[in-house]
Amino acid sequence: MTTPLVEDTSGLKSGQTLLEVDNLIMRYKTKQGYVSAVEDVSFVLHKGEALGLVGESGCGKTSIALSLLRLQADNGEIMGGSIKLGGKDLVPISEEEMRTHRWNDISMVFQGAMNSWNPVYRVGDQIKEALDLHWPTRLSRAEVRERIGELFALVGLPADAQDRYPHEFSGGMRQRAVIAMALSCNPQVIIADEPTTALDVIVQDQILKELKRIQDDLDMSIIYISHDIAVIAEVTDRMAVMYAGKMVEFGDTADIFSAPRHPYAWLLLSSTPSIVGPRRQLAPLEGEPPNLLDPPTGCRFNPRCPFATDQCRVEEPPLADIGGGHMVACWNYEDVPVGITAGGVA
Amino acid sequence: MALEQKPGDLQADPLVALEGAEDLPAIELTDPLWRIRLRLLWRNFKKNWGLFAENKIGLVGLFIIGVFALMAIAHPVLMATVWGGDNTEIYDPVIGYDAVVKEFIVVEVVTDPLSEIELIDARFTNINAQVGDIISQPQQPAPPSSKHLLGTDPLGRDVLSQLMFSTRAAFFLGMVAALVTVFIATTVGSMAAFFRGFVDSFLMRLADLILLMPLIPILIVIGGFWTIELWQLGVIIGVLNGFGGVAIVLRSQALAVSVKPFVDAARVAGGSKWHLIFRHVIPNVLPLSFLYMMFGVTEAISLEAVLSFFGLLNVDMSWGLMISVAQAEGYLLRGLDVWWLLFPAGMAVSVLAAAFFLVGRAMDEVVNPRLRQR
Amino acid sequence: MLRFIGVRLVQMSLLFLVFLTLLFFLLQAQPGDFSRQFLDPNIPAENRDLIAARFGLDQPLWRQYLTYMGNILQGDLGVSFARYPRSVVSVISERLPRTFFLFTFATMLSYYLGFMLGKVLAWRRGGSQEMGITLGGVILYTVFYPWFALVMIWFFAAYLDLVPVNQFLTPIRWREAPFSANTVFASIIWSTLLLTVGLGLSLWASRKPDNLAQQRLIRWGGVGLSFALFLAFWLPSDRRTFATDIAHHAVLPIFTLALVAFAGVMLITRGSMLETLKEDYILTARAKGLAPKTIRDRHAARNALLPVTTSFVLGLAFIIGGGLITETVFSWPGMGELLLVSVQNQDIPVAIGSLAMVGALALIAHIVVDVLYVFLDPRIRYQ
Ligand SMILES: Nc1ncnc2c1ncn2[C@@H]1O[C@H](COP(=O)(O)OP(=O)(O)O)[C@@H](O)[C@H]1O
Ligand SMILES: [Mg+2]
Repeated sequence: MTTPLVEDTSGLKSGQTLLEVDNLIMRYKTKQGYVSAVEDVSFVLHKGEALGLVGESGCGKTSIALSLLRLQADNGEIMGGSIKLGGKDLVPISEEEMRTHRWNDISMVFQGAMNSWNPVYRVGDQIKEALDLHWPTRLSRAEVRERIGELFALVGLPADAQDRYPHEFSGGMRQRAVIAMALSCNPQVIIADEPTTALDVIVQDQILKELKRIQDDLDMSIIYISHDIAVIAEVTDRMAVMYAGKMVEFGDTADIFSAPRHPYAWLLLSSTPSIVGPRRQLAPLEGEPPNLLDPPTGCRFNPRCPFATDQCRVEEPPLADIGGGHMVACWNYEDVPVGITAGGVA
Repeated sequence: MALEQKPGDLQADPLVALEGAEDLPAIELTDPLWRIRLRLLWRNFKKNWGLFAENKIGLVGLFIIGVFALMAIAHPVLMATVWGGDNTEIYDPVIGYDAVVKEFIVVEVVTDPLSEIELIDARFTNINAQVGDIISQPQQPAPPSSKHLLGTDPLGRDVLSQLMFSTRAAFFLGMVAALVTVFIATTVGSMAAFFRGFVDSFLMRLADLILLMPLIPILIVIGGFWTIELWQLGVIIGVLNGFGGVAIVLRSQALAVSVKPFVDAARVAGGSKWHLIFRHVIPNVLPLSFLYMMFGVTEAISLEAVLSFFGLLNVDMSWGLMISVAQAEGYLLRGLDVWWLLFPAGMAVSVLAAAFFLVGRAMDEVVNPRLRQR
Repeated sequence: MLRFIGVRLVQMSLLFLVFLTLLFFLLQAQPGDFSRQFLDPNIPAENRDLIAARFGLDQPLWRQYLTYMGNILQGDLGVSFARYPRSVVSVISERLPRTFFLFTFATMLSYYLGFMLGKVLAWRRGGSQEMGITLGGVILYTVFYPWFALVMIWFFAAYLDLVPVNQFLTPIRWREAPFSANTVFASIIWSTLLLTVGLGLSLWASRKPDNLAQQRLIRWGGVGLSFALFLAFWLPSDRRTFATDIAHHAVLPIFTLALVAFAGVMLITRGSMLETLKEDYILTARAKGLAPKTIRDRHAARNALLPVTTSFVLGLAFIIGGGLITETVFSWPGMGELLLVSVQNQDIPVAIGSLAMVGALALIAHIVVDVLYVFLDPRIRYQ
């Protein structure tokens, strides 16, 4: 933990609130009906904080990230809730106004950032594009070069790499350059969606460390998204566990790691070989996330949950604070064993 | 997949391999293999048909093709019944003749070709004709009447009968060209992809060369020096397409297929090269072949019309020839006045070609999932 | 780069040799030989043999082949039968510029318009308008072209009487002309070529400076200057009225050919654009807050251009075939019309000569596009 952790009465970390998401609902309209990819999600991001979103793939993590920028696919629609950036709600504003916030206030490192580069332009020119658009003053060509040089130095790339084309970079270099581009306009929030998934393990680790260091140096706020709970453990202060479009657990990363209260988080953790923390036995997480076209009634996790009761099948549990800002959406969270063994799971 | 008893055999069923079987209901493993296969085939057909039918334009294309096919079938039937017997002389598309004798006013400059006749033309009938005379002579081309629903052409032949008769030629040619194309391209593409190396580069350079050759000028030269029959044209188009562009596309598809796990499985299981090609690679390339078959038909229909328009094809009657005759007799600049000469044949070529093209595009969306709309 | 062009040139020359060889065998495969086809059957046998010997027809096949190739490579395509004693080369050199003119204009027009419309179509995917235009494109693409050209002539020339019916020029006007149609035509070609170069240069140079005002100045200054020079050449010239006569005749054939070729380009651009729009870098561009138009033009269309350029090579045969039909239907005296008429007259030297020229034209266009592609796609690096 790099920022001092001071618990306030509401359980949220102190520090200036940057981004406040309330009851966000985003659904994709398809021929078969609505896909409820983001269902009633709320969280707060503070200045200098690293927040993690974790969940199996298909749980709606990317959908949340894109909704924050209002970049969800054409068939996706924000059907409720608010996204307050510095107190200003981004949901009702016009597309033109939204454009001035993108990258300037919230930038993003995409899932598969390797392909985030347009192959026909030089890397530097693609960063310049963002600077031309958002930098408060008009920079001359030389100033732009200098700025990109600084950014590249920050992510460990030589300054003259900006004159090269994306295909001349290795995967890791492209990823670093993407991070440099995300930093270019000094955004308040960076969303990193699976920033290292496509890379090999060693490069993955380097880049994560670098991101962490940059975040500390610049005192930035980052939302990390990953299906890999180990990554989240390594870099975040607080985390949210997503399941089937819903947030099922939220709290300090350390708390959730030591004692996950939601059965899904518990299974997710126990099925992951541990990098941090005590050795765990592996428990299988069986089945697949539900089809979001027609999610199960009651708790969306109930078909896969070893602790499910009749109540779970009809009544949806609310996300409730169980003390210390640790929130869980489960009727039977008390049944979930503290400390992880595979014993109780069939 | 739950069916593992014959690795690389059932697995490689093109339909299973292409679509995956996750969403198919469970299959009784006790059934004989052929029945499973047949059922998979049927299910897959239904599924693909569903995808195809989502595309309304493709259905329109299919409908148009159906209408033309009906026309092709109806012609011999009509010739045997309504247009047959004593009427054969009138309605035969090639040697039929029927012209109503009609009275024309002789004028200097024709403004209404259906009731006036130019002095020079009138003197063919009556050498003493003068401006202002009324002379009787057979009217050809004649406008549509109850006897000739689409009128007659400049030689007094029934346009509707010609139109329907020519449909058969168009289908025949399209069929020949498409089959030859698919046969050659599938073989060439699969061989190039499977053997790689010299075979591959030779076949692909050949394809490049063919792609570069200006097809229409070459066909014109060939057609000028020989008499080309319809089927020969079909074969020429098929060969050029089959060794040319289509082979390149199918090769890359075959390349993608030949590195799939089930091909490896079959290879490990000891399948011979030819077994692998014919059982595994070719079946998986076929859907794409069918797609190019549609585009091939489009091309063949247009080429046939062009060649017979220039009089370079040895065919009794075809849409291109109908237009060629009308043009040669100088009727086309009269435009709407003689619409039955200008539009039915030209539209038939265009519409049928477009129909095959549309079906091809719709199939493209089935075969290439990346094109599908969500 | 020079080396790449060199390699391509060598490859293409080899292809051209193969093409010529194929042509030779095409001729050889004809039933009978020339002496039998073109001479009076009543000529005594020994005379026939004499004539055959004079044309080298008694030689073995491989010698005939060598002679044929040798002659062609020396630029000797023989003498026209139908226009005896004009040489094939002189006939072709008169026709070639006209075909070049028609082909270049129609191609540039169709690619420009097709690309512009195609990209907008893909961008606005889903509307009924888009559906209508796409359908229109398909219809134009598959329309029976000779027929379409005839309908165009009927509509624009005969019915609306906007342009002259067919031909390259109006003969009556040229009776007193102090110069030949070919000289006037040559100046048309050169001046438009220079104009195009001027426009291209100004667009290119306007990218260089750092500030917007200067960019605009160079762009519009350059465009204005190019047009001013163009007009300064033509307005005072005594060739002007004759040039407009030719241009007037050229409008409809160019427009018709461009319209049909345009449809194919539009459909390809649309498809390629739809693919590009799914790429990750488009999402990045949107996340950067770029304006939709910038994303469409600078990111999506720029990449969609690559497959469209590749398709040019494939479309080449289509356009050449279309050009040939255009020339024939519009009686535009170019290579295509020459080819068809010579085939109909059995004027074999001219037919072979023009087919060889058409092949050469296709190969040259291919090289041009290849070189262009290197500039368009930085991923391609030829050593
Ligand atoms: N454009 C779309 N249309 C319909 N459904 C979509 C679309 N994009 C994503 N989905 C669905 O939304 C759900 C969440 O997807 P996503 O946000 O990508 O999940 P994650 O990032 O957690 O893997 C998935 O079930 C996915 O199939
Ligand atoms: Mg994701």
